[in-house]
Amino acid sequence: MSKPAAQAERRPTDWNSPAMQKRIRRRYAAERRFRVLGAGAVILSAAFLGFLLLTMVAQGWRGFTVTELALPIDLKADGLKIERSQLATPAADLALASAGLEDVVDNAATRAFGADGATYLAPSAWLAVRGAVKRDPSLLERRTTVYVPAATGFDRALAGDGDPAMEAGVARLTRQGAIHRGFNWTFLSESDSTDPVAVGVWGALKGSLLTMAITFLIAFPVGVLSAIYLEEYAPKNRWTDLIEVSINNLAAVPSIIFGLLGLAMFLGTWQIGGHSFGPMLPRSAPLVGGVTLALMIMPVIVIASRNAIKGVPPSIRDAALGIGASPIQVVFHHVLPLAMPGILTGTIIGMARALGETAPLLLIGMRAFIVTAPGGFTDPSTVLPVQIFLWSDEVSRGFVEKTSAAILVLLAVLLAMNGLAIYLRNKFETRW
Amino acid sequence: MTPASPAPHKMSARGVSVFYGQKQAVKDVSIDVDMDKVTAFIGPSGCGKSTFLRTFNRMNDTIASARVTGEITLDGADIYAADMDVVQLRARVGMVFQKPNPFPKSIFENVAYGPRIHGLASSKSDLEGIVERSLKRAGLWEEVKDRLSDSGTALSGGQQQRLCIARAIAVDPEVILMDEPASALDPIATAKIEELIHELRGRYAIVIVTHNMQQAARVSQRTAFFHLGQLVEYGETDNLFTAPREERTKDYITGRYG
Amino acid sequence: MNPFALSFLILGLGLIGWLTARARAVRFDRGGAKRLHSLPAQHGWFVGMWTILPPLLFLVVWSGISPGLVRQTVLQSPAAAGLSDFAFERDSVLAQAREVAKNPYETEADPLARQLAPVVRAASRRYAWTGTAAAVLLAFAGAAFALSRIRADFRARSKVERTLMMGLLVASLIAIFTTIGIFVSLFWESLRFFQQVPITQFLFGTHWSPQVIDAKDPGASLGAVPLFWGTFFIGAVIAMLVAIPFGLMSAVYLTQYASATTRRWMKPTLEMLAGVPTVVYGYFAALTVAPAVRKLAVLLGDPFASSESALAAGLVMGVMIIPFVSSMADDSLAAVPTSMRDGSLAMGATTSETISRVLVPAALPGVVAGVLLAVSRAIGETMIVVMAASGAATITLNPLQSATTVTKQIVDLLTGEAEFDSPKTLAAFALGLTLFVITLLLNIVALRVVKKYREAYE
Repeated sequence: MSKPAAQAERRPTDWNSPAMQKRIRRRYAAERRFRVLGAGAVILSAAFLGFLLLTMVAQGWRGFTVTELALPIDLKADGLKIERSQLATPAADLALASAGLEDVVDNAATRAFGADGATYLAPSAWLAVRGAVKRDPSLLERRTTVYVPAATGFDRALAGDGDPAMEAGVARLTRQGAIHRGFNWTFLSESDSTDPVAVGVWGALKGSLLTMAITFLIAFPVGVLSAIYLEEYAPKNRWTDLIEVSINNLAAVPSIIFGLLGLAMFLGTWQIGGHSFGPMLPRSAPLVGGVTLALMIMPVIVIASRNAIKGVPPSIRDAALGIGASPIQVVFHHVLPLAMPGILTGTIIGMARALGETAPLLLIGMRAFIVTAPGGFTDPSTVLPVQIFLWSDEVSRGFVEKTSAAILVLLAVLLAMNGLAIYLRNKFETRW
Repeated sequence: MTPASPAPHKMSARGVSVFYGQKQAVKDVSIDVDMDKVTAFIGPSGCGKSTFLRTFNRMNDTIASARVTGEITLDGADIYAADMDVVQLRARVGMVFQKPNPFPKSIFENVAYGPRIHGLASSKSDLEGIVERSLKRAGLWEEVKDRLSDSGTALSGGQQQRLCIARAIAVDPEVILMDEPASALDPIATAKIEELIHELRGRYAIVIVTHNMQQAARVSQRTAFFHLGQLVEYGETDNLFTAPREERTKDYITGRYG
Repeated sequence: MNPFALSFLILGLGLIGWLTARARAVRFDRGGAKRLHSLPAQHGWFVGMWTILPPLLFLVVWSGISPGLVRQTVLQSPAAAGLSDFAFERDSVLAQAREVAKNPYETEADPLARQLAPVVRAASRRYAWTGTAAAVLLAFAGAAFALSRIRADFRARSKVERTLMMGLLVASLIAIFTTIGIFVSLFWESLRFFQQVPITQFLFGTHWSPQVIDAKDPGASLGAVPLFWGTFFIGAVIAMLVAIPFGLMSAVYLTQYASATTRRWMKPTLEMLAGVPTVVYGYFAALTVAPAVRKLAVLLGDPFASSESALAAGLVMGVMIIPFVSSMADDSLAAVPTSMRDGSLAMGATTSETISRVLVPAALPGVVAGVLLAVSRAIGETMIVVMAASGAATITLNPLQSATTVTKQIVDLLTGEAEFDSPKTLAAFALGLTLFVITLLLNIVALRVVKKYREAYE
């Protein structure tokens, strides 16, 4: 095959020799091992995600259900002294409470379910009766059946995880047909409570929404405007470099540092010239939370917006400049509308990150125990992730399913946001 | 893998077509490649000559949408057969690319890479011998012998391409495929590469793709002219350039298009 | 008037100003010139801007200072005499008073808060009206001024554009202000801390127990070395032992082996790991992983194993970091020219040989930078360690034992009921400063490596 000269130098490789064949087989085996390792890494990572979600669903689905007991009650006969006219006033709650509604409900439970009856009811059971009476004042005069939430212990016993006395009660009430399980609307409409049966995510969700509104109102305009400046107008000098370095570094600063910033800047008091100023913003409120998170996600929006603006081809700018548009008009009439899908996608991703953030908000006091949903931007409030954290710390077993249920709510909102971002990206993606 | 009787040609293609998805890039091409000869593929850009070259060591396998039909044999054995080992095939049919692509490693490591993965050297001194011999054959030894540990990417373009040739030689291939090896180089470096091809001819079957007709005339003994995915004419280089049989070949070599 | 109604009122005034100015500009006497310098709409924008911007700026400032003014008025009123001296208690009563002021039928409120409520209501109403009046006045003044300026030869467009440009510049300066704000607030509070505790004692002390602080020598129980070790051990060792192999191998598989369909589905799936909120990971770590790790420890013969082990927190943190490593590795592998891969394959190397001997070494700087960024991410991560790691500061090499981190201690120190100036609270800021500096250094180094590496292939 080869010339003799070459053979003198070196014999040609005999690919069919047993040693070489063995070596090839070994190399292919290594190739397969490597490939399996790679696939394994992907599958295990995905499996972890699946396991995490499954765990949350398995523990959390029960949080969306409520155990209710059919409580026969006759308010007049049980001695609730209250006039029908009082129910129409804003002071109705106060009046019902001072008329002893809570005791009346407990008595009714004892009569209907036996000596332990009152312990089967959740502490918030009388609130269900109060609501029923306010909706239909005629209940004051007649005998009726109201569905009231069962106590946490009762609920646990129903799930097969309670003490023997409660389990006996469950057995008895099952025979009576007094147990009803249904979707827990309270969980979506109420706020925090000390009793796991009565808790809801609405207060925290509303706090999150208010906080996100502030975050968006600050971070979006500031982020987009500074992206425009840096990408379109900024002269290349040391100041511009400094801004760029600041943004890149802010994007990587741990979130907890922003909590410290919020705490010291917005909630601290400042001694200036013998006078003490501050705090600039009210503690525990969506306002301070929103501002802090806005500073945190602003770099994300700036970076995403810059990439979107960079993606608009220079020919479009040249065309607009060529027909005599001013530099401002070029950007606001042509570049910005074309870059908007990319900017919005980046903004949604940043907002999703802010929505899931916990640590900085803990530091600025958004961990208040909030029993009514915040009414405005300056009311003490908590947010969904912090609520999850607070519930996870509770000792009562009933909170486990509520925590997981709240996590499912949070994940659902995040999934919706990311879905929207992906939809926007696919719908408006332009190839130049 | 080696047939009982020696095959008449080192490599033979019979009715080879290549598809990229729906598009057919090479149409029903048959050609033979022999030892001790340089075969040149010429033709206007986009005529499928590079694609066809890559079928000779199955480099088209790395492109997911590419599909090859027809038969290509090496010493009579079908290289697209199920029992053909692509790793061994590529060791026997080496390749040099259009743009020099040394690995970001030292010069020594670049050349030693092939013998290492194929287990060709029995000892460290054996490996050093292979590296020295390969660099000498590629005409690079004198220029780099004192700086073998420098990065391969630090060399000049022409040196890088000769390093890539040395790297291909080091696994002791039987066929060397060259895909426009000098197109990214200056005239002096190009001349060195052509000289090198001339010297290597005695040991290997060489196939070179070029869009430079003068280069084809200078280095090759046989030339194949491709146009729009088809093999228009294949023959002795001297005949093809002086007395083309086909009208299209004539148009091309006289510069009507290309 | 509530802030929203007020904002709408001002925007409405701005719109009226805009329309008026435009209408006036349309009728300008052109005096022979064919065209005005600015379009009528640009005159409109000029007036609109002058109508809207001053009152809005005023309102932002006013909303910042008015709660303070209300508070001051209330505290000075005779009804506030009975207030407690403790800041926490006082704030709580004031908050309740604000609640009652809004809703007189609020059932659960301190009697003192009920007394204060009318004062609160009166004060807030007074300041709210003052602000509203001032804002509206400013709007009219701005509009009047601007309308008096516009004439046929007035260059409204230049003015509007200059203002916009100022707006752009101010927006981009906010990043610098934030950086300065972070640095100043951390540095200032840390300075106060180091006045009480010597910096060497803090940085090199090996005993950390902020629960019991000796007032005479606070530094003795504020030595942060165990925290630094715990942070390093959990974030840079255990988490990376999970994240690097998994992230790197995932990136390799998805870029080099997987079919297009697999890649299209698995890449977003892995990225979802980065989208899960950290509080969810924390809960998962505390509820599911930590007990499992403890069981393992008991099996291994440690009956007193901690259920807040470094391993549980580190494992979960590692999983969280996988997508960061994977996407950085993905980018770096993609930046290696395909000719490298072809060159290696053409010599008969198998895919795995090509990856491990050519592609990964070529992509190494990018991968290393990715790992540095991942480490910086891991040591700054808070919720997982807050929920799953221990508060006990120990220096241990045993992953089954408990370890604590800088971030967890910051949260613990600041969520107790300590007053603002105690060494305990200030220590949190010193820890924050340390964390900030370390992550900053890691990022700078990583970005520099990435930049160098990109240049090498361009």
